[in-house]
Amino acid sequence: MSRTILHLDLDAFFCAVEELRDPALRGKAFAVGGQPETRGVVASCSYAARRHGVRSAMPMSRALRLCPGLLVVRPRHGAYHEASQQVMERLHALTELVEQISIDEAFLDVTALPEPGEAIARRLQARIRAELELPCSLGVASNKLVAKIATDVGKASARGDGPPSAILVVPPGSEAAFLAPLPARALWGVGPSTAERLAALGIATIGDIAAAPEAELVRAFGKNGYALHRHAQGLDDSPIVTFHEAKSMSREVTYARDVSDERALRRTLDELADDVAQQLHAAGKGGLTVKLKLRWPDFTTLTRQESLPEPACDAAAIRAAAHRLFDKTWERGKAVRLIGVGVSGLMDPLHQLGLWDRDWQREGRILEAVRELQKRYGADVVRRGAPE
Amino acid sequence: MKISCLQENLAKGLSTVGRAVATRSTLPVLSNILLATDKGQLKLSATNLEIGISCWVGAKIEEEGAVTVPARLLSDFVNQLPADRIDMALNARTKTLNLRCARYEANIKGIDAAEFPLIPTLGEDGQVSLGPESLREMIEQVTLAAATDESRPVLTGVLAKLEGDQLTLAASDGFRLSVRKAQLPQAVAQPQEVIIPARALQELGRVSAEESEAVQMVISTQRSQVFFHMTSVDLVSQLVEGAFPPYQRIIPASHATRTVLDTASFRDAIRLAFLFARDSANIVRVRVTPGEAGGNGHVTISATSAEMGDNVGEMDAQVEGTEVEIAFNARYLLDVLSVIKSAQVALETSTASSPGVIRPVGGSDFLHVIMPMHIAR
Repeated sequence: MSRTILHLDLDAFFCAVEELRDPALRGKAFAVGGQPETRGVVASCSYAARRHGVRSAMPMSRALRLCPGLLVVRPRHGAYHEASQQVMERLHALTELVEQISIDEAFLDVTALPEPGEAIARRLQARIRAELELPCSLGVASNKLVAKIATDVGKASARGDGPPSAILVVPPGSEAAFLAPLPARALWGVGPSTAERLAALGIATIGDIAAAPEAELVRAFGKNGYALHRHAQGLDDSPIVTFHEAKSMSREVTYARDVSDERALRRTLDELADDVAQQLHAAGKGGLTVKLKLRWPDFTTLTRQESLPEPACDAAAIRAAAHRLFDKTWERGKAVRLIGVGVSGLMDPLHQLGLWDRDWQREGRILEAVRELQKRYGADVVRRGAPE
Repeated sequence: MKISCLQENLAKGLSTVGRAVATRSTLPVLSNILLATDKGQLKLSATNLEIGISCWVGAKIEEEGAVTVPARLLSDFVNQLPADRIDMALNARTKTLNLRCARYEANIKGIDAAEFPLIPTLGEDGQVSLGPESLREMIEQVTLAAATDESRPVLTGVLAKLEGDQLTLAASDGFRLSVRKAQLPQAVAQPQEVIIPARALQELGRVSAEESEAVQMVISTQRSQVFFHMTSVDLVSQLVEGAFPPYQRIIPASHATRTVLDTASFRDAIRLAFLFARDSANIVRVRVTPGEAGGNGHVTISATSAEMGDNVGEMDAQVEGTEVEIAFNARYLLDVLSVIKSAQVALETSTASSPGVIRPVGGSDFLHVIMPMHIAR
């Protein structure tokens, strides 16, 4: 039986929330994001700004060159999170089969509901507009892949100055025909490098991919070739995943200015490791692999990882591994633009207990006390000190 | 020196002493094997200054003498010769050993035997006789628990305790403990407690593999050495200095649950779980469920790998006590289950964070304690 999947995407979400706070922003070219002098990037931009070529993830300095009068609004993540929860609550009121894929996007499986998909989409859009004053666009199709692309196509073809508030329905059976004229880049899993290699094979549109022999795609892209071929025909049987278990946890910072001072870099490493340890603790997990990420001023990015003998959840073990990786990767005096620490291989943080060694109990009591202090007085009240 | 012997006898003798040859020594003579005529036999010796092994090989001696030659070259050469008679003659001036066998002839340059360290020989006082078979079993059951890293040197050793007519061997790497007792044919006059390197005992187990006569042990505390004398092999080892941690204290005096399992099935289940555990810090979970109304209980053994998948095995067991779930390092369980000969083993547990004890059913001479893996807070 054919499924009915909705994809919902809030239109210029952060901007829409900011407009609720300050109605004077309506219709103006503005962007939410970091300040240009601290290398901020555009997190979200209004439709007026988009007409000047401003896009998400663009450096704010570039956005300002494209759109000289651009207003830069400092992000208020707490407010976005709250608004997002309000939206998600309304989706959950409709069905349990909701897969939130980001703060402003979700899939819904409405196959079991009596109404047709398009009617549900209209009602949802109207309700979110009326109750939360937030615009959104939806795609309706028989699977997640096509529903998401339908939203994107619907948004792109919207006319007018305001938010698109688009709804596009791809009826079952017409998936391949709908996708065929779209550029290959519009397909899941086709990034700039895949698109370039497809172009080299004379493939420009999704229809071209669907028409290409599967064997040729597999030869060029390995097992991804199978997925490409299936997806290009509008085939996707991935289910709505209502619960995502984290596979990794990480923290990274981009310095306001490149840093080459070893002590400063190592201090950042310690702070990132401590943050990751707290994340792990909050999730009740330990990680078997520690990862270090370094980006040089020329944007070359290196990642190095190390496996641990047992899942670590304590800051000391993550710090130690991060510093070992840093020793292997960083050359003295080299400037660093971004530094990150992460852990993967998440599992229950089981630790081999020792027959005589009672230190683990002591360490446990210290951690407990530190957490209690942080809970009462904030995360910065106490941190692990570095032996100077 | 002029002697002849059979290739197979010499090859066997060289392999017996070969493991004591120093592999990374600054003293070149320690990479050599000493060949010396001794009471109508050919004596082979090697030492790395921690362990020394000597072995006597039947030989026809025409002219007495001694020399040392590189162990690796001599062993490799002799191993590849045909099973025939080997004639050896030493050029005393050049310290070159000439070997002839069938249609091969070789000259191997050696180092003066006088430069070879003197390997101390066995005294007569305080000899303790040990049955070779039970000795080998003891060594196997105990040395597996000794530490392999050198961060705490005493833990690389095996505690040997002689008291009355009992010998106790104990070893622990800090996470598990093996204790094995054996009856001595004769009571010792003085109680003694020394730490023998686990590696020396493993070598003893190896070189005594074909021994049927009792192995004689002498401990010299003044020289901080232990000697083992066998029919045609002597082994001497330095003792480990220091105090062995008090192990009796960590053997649980009681338990909440006693689970009796078939040894082979338990081992097989752990071995299967290990396939999934080896990518996830070797963690296996053992869940023990008592039977209802005195009936048989059962044990579930499971392992999960975040990347690869998971595995569950179930087996029947006689369970006395309360339900328990406890996680262990699969490697540790496999190690001990591989050296228990009895058909059934008992696993004694209390809580998920207190030590588990494994004992063979129907014998009280061996016990093994394993600390579980547990959430570290």
